[in-house]
Amino acid sequence: MNNVLKFKNKKANVVAQDEIYNFAYLDENTKRMIRRALIKALCIPGYQVPFSSREMPMPYGWGTGGVQVTSSCLTTDDVLKVIDQGADDTTNAVSIRNFFKKTANIETTETTGDASIIQTRHRIPENQLNEKQILVYQVPIPEPLAFLEPRYQETKKMHALSEYGIMHVKLYEDITKNGHIETAYAYPVKTNDRYIMDPSPIPKFDNPKMNNNPAIQLFGAGREQRIYAIPPYTEVTSLDFEDYPFDPSKAPHKCSICGSNDSFLDEIITDDDGNRSFICSDTNYCNQRMKDK
Amino acid sequence: MEPILSVQNLNKYYGDQVGCKNMNMTLYPGEVVGVVGESGSGKTTFINSISGNLNPDRGKILINKDNEIINFLEISESLKRLLIRTELAFVHQNPRDGLRLDVSAGGNISERLMSIGQRNYGKIRQTIFKWLDKVEIDKSRVDDFPRTFSGGMLQRLQIAKNLVTSPKIIFMDEPTGGLDVSVQAKILDLLRKLVRELNLSVVIVSHDLAVIRLLADKIIVMKNGEAVESGLCDQVLDDPQHSYTQLLVSSVLQV
Repeated sequence: MNNVLKFKNKKANVVAQDEIYNFAYLDENTKRMIRRALIKALCIPGYQVPFSSREMPMPYGWGTGGVQVTSSCLTTDDVLKVIDQGADDTTNAVSIRNFFKKTANIETTETTGDASIIQTRHRIPENQLNEKQILVYQVPIPEPLAFLEPRYQETKKMHALSEYGIMHVKLYEDITKNGHIETAYAYPVKTNDRYIMDPSPIPKFDNPKMNNNPAIQLFGAGREQRIYAIPPYTEVTSLDFEDYPFDPSKAPHKCSICGSNDSFLDEIITDDDGNRSFICSDTNYCNQRMKDK
Repeated sequence: MEPILSVQNLNKYYGDQVGCKNMNMTLYPGEVVGVVGESGSGKTTFINSISGNLNPDRGKILINKDNEIINFLEISESLKRLLIRTELAFVHQNPRDGLRLDVSAGGNISERLMSIGQRNYGKIRQTIFKWLDKVEIDKSRVDDFPRTFSGGMLQRLQIAKNLVTSPKIIFMDEPTGGLDVSVQAKILDLLRKLVRELNLSVVIVSHDLAVIRLLADKIIVMKNGEAVESGLCDQVLDDPQHSYTQLLVSSVLQV
């Protein structure tokens, strides 16, 4: 690091600590490699493209895949929003936002409508996204067949030949055990009528929002080294049975702050007596509704 | 009548070792062909080679699918796998190889149905019950895991799982191996019933001449990777010509 500082000093005389990072942390060659993977992923919706994931200054499982995708997409004009389970103010969201503030010196926001790139962990914002936005998902396990077929070679073949019977076996088992499809998050979808895809652990409530969304949706799995994508206006259907159709489902309550009837709710236990209340998981959506009132 | 499966001059080598050599076989609809021989004679290599589990080195495998002859070794991987899960079925000696042990009995039977596009839970459930009945497994066990089943039940479950999509050709590798005699008799009885009822075409491998005599119409006797004698089952077993067949027949225990 000293060498870098000395070298920069010679050239510019003064250098701030933050400028020793390349724009958005990753070096340009890495970003180019990731962009290639992203373009391939966009061309084949739902197909998992391998990429050479880098060590990031955060542990695996904290969004290393999402951060690398965001880093490769960022330009100096971008406005970044980061959410974690819908909230702008939790540790993961705050630290990733600060990370890019520091390494890319870009503007950040908490307002969904103002952001050009939204990195998300496990939610899709309640507000409708537009054509100028990119939604970047953090993905822990990209392979939807992984829990049924542990052999990677075999799942690759199954994707290539669209052998997806086994995916319905999982749903069959769900109905048999519980009387309904119990899977409530990471609910498998079919993208563009071809590839079965794991939508990352978003609640199944969010699944319909992926369908025909005008925004670009990118998925990055850092530890598993996979990137996949849904281009704008692509058909995304949730798997189901004719007699057990897909049901997005939602807690039968209103948000106790803003009163919203149709947003995804978090259940909060409020005291030691087990009293509970339900509030919007999307904090920005909730705050805006309160402001509008 | 056209044969449903015809194998011509099939060869499979493991390096310099012969797996099976110059094998020929014709299987007509509704017919059962038995393959017998001692351990290491190439029976399993042969059945794996003709069922798509192994890639043979030379030879031809022709499958008659609705009067269209398919050259099994030259079609694309995707068509091959489609055929394997719709037209063909393979019953393993060890049912644990052919079943998913962490999926319920019903789920195991339903997999092939759903892989060919059935998406109605109620109808799938009905088909499962029908097949449990056919293989004589109590309906109340439908949601139990295979690991709670006995050996004989596992084998019957595997048979149901394979037959549920009405495949045309069934391959069986020692389906009664490792089962005690009474359970073995029950499975054989069941197989004989299903073969008659559903007009199945079967290739069955066994070292047990009694199994073959009971089920098979034709027989192929293998030794050192080659067929030493073949023909009608009763004829070959009652009047064996080759010295090895004679040895095999005479070494059956008479009780």
